[in-house]
Amino acid sequence: MWDNLIIIAGGLATLGIFSFLIKENFIYRLFEHIFIGIASGIGVLFTIKNFLYPKIIRPVLGIDIYKYPDGTVESAYNTFNLLYLIPMAFGLLYYFIYSKKHGWLAKLVIGFSLGISGGLHFKGFFNHVMPQIFSSFKSLIVLDNGAINYLESFNNTIFVITLLSVMYYFFFSFKSKSKISLGISKTGRLLLMVCFGAFFGSTIMARLTLLVERVQFLYNDFFGLIF
Amino acid sequence: MKDLERKIIYLFVLLALLVPLITGLVLKPVKMDNAGSIYTQIEELKFKKNEVAFVALDFGPNTKGENEPQSEVFIEHLMLNKIPFVLFSQYFLAEPFLKEIPLRVSKKIMKLYPERKLEYGVDWVNLGYQPGRTQLIQSIPKSDDLRKIFIKDVRGNKLENLPIFKNLTNFSQIKLLAQFTGLTGLFDIYVSFFKNKEHQPLFFHGCTSITIPDAYIYLDSKQINGLFEGIAGAAWYSELLNIDNPGRVPDSSHIINTMLGVAHLVIILLIIFGNIFRRKL
Repeated sequence: MWDNLIIIAGGLATLGIFSFLIKENFIYRLFEHIFIGIASGIGVLFTIKNFLYPKIIRPVLGIDIYKYPDGTVESAYNTFNLLYLIPMAFGLLYYFIYSKKHGWLAKLVIGFSLGISGGLHFKGFFNHVMPQIFSSFKSLIVLDNGAINYLESFNNTIFVITLLSVMYYFFFSFKSKSKISLGISKTGRLLLMVCFGAFFGSTIMARLTLLVERVQFLYNDFFGLIF
Repeated sequence: MKDLERKIIYLFVLLALLVPLITGLVLKPVKMDNAGSIYTQIEELKFKKNEVAFVALDFGPNTKGENEPQSEVFIEHLMLNKIPFVLFSQYFLAEPFLKEIPLRVSKKIMKLYPERKLEYGVDWVNLGYQPGRTQLIQSIPKSDDLRKIFIKDVRGNKLENLPIFKNLTNFSQIKLLAQFTGLTGLFDIYVSFFKNKEHQPLFFHGCTSITIPDAYIYLDSKQINGLFEGIAGAAWYSELLNIDNPGRVPDSSHIINTMLGVAHLVIILLIIFGNIFRRKL
């Protein structure tokens, strides 16, 4: 019963959103807002259900300690759990953002968050980008058991030309109007166009896959249930 | 007139999608080397006792079309090879997939091989949605007891009471990580932080078609060890599973791949047609 209702609701919502293809209309806007509302609400709900309640509230209140039938408990209450209240109280200062008088308290939390996220991203940047920089140092002549591997060498040459010419295209510190400079810049621009083409093609493919999944749902599940 | 032309194009695309669905036409998927490489690595991996795989399903309904078949075939392969795995997500809309996919796949395998028993807690554990993003992921490699980070599974069981987590404490026991997402921000977090000086698990990534060009960069720099390239990667992986498991019930990747192929062909034809008969503005 519930499964069928879910399928019908899903089918109606899908058709409602697809009605935009005919023209902008009330039904489309209705389902769009419902989706945004549900998505936001679910985020809060799951954060409470999967994190806040089991990992913070239960240990702080001591209700995660199992009581045996004879009245004894699994473990004694850990008073250090109360320390959770300090970061929680600090985090709640964020709500002072709505106060004109005490707005500065929210800035403390914002500054703290920015500091943490800046530090993590600084570390993350090196872990993330350095291997890519190292892998861009490619040999233009690749030897395979003493013989030249032409395909790999060609691949690497294209890679290096692309990398350098695209970087040169975005080099705005000084202008050079020499033919060589303009040629490199133009090559960079052309290679970027190829890249954008690939991105555009893959975007169409991804969007179509979404459509495929919905059409499959409508055909197999929704219309299968109704007709 | 222009509005009508646009609707005609939509109609053509819809008809193209419906043809494989109605006729049951299924085309053989193209060989995808990067997805094939994941398959080979999983086949060759030797898991010691108390070693596990971590599988992050960081996707929701918005990229379900590609990420769900990818994660489904991968989880099926893990289960077929008796590799225990821990599921979690950093994306709250993934919650239903974390629950449904392993259940669906385990039922399918037990139907194909009735002698195999797949059980929650022994073969897989679902940790559910785990908020925290960078803070959470960077804490995993630093931890000396993973059970202190996650504490409980999504069903409310204490992790130390589950067979998988009984002796699973250390980051070095995580042999591989597979992450499926269409969100590049989440993927970058794993690349940057899911490793420490002593240990770096194998990293497989399932991306959507939009992020394939991005993902190749990570493949080239060997920051990932294998890649599911959109639905095509999932379809080829499914084909490999079919070869090794005769009688296997097909998953949705083949039909989605076929529908996509036909629709793509129609779009290419429409682009050619549009360019030849373009009206002068």
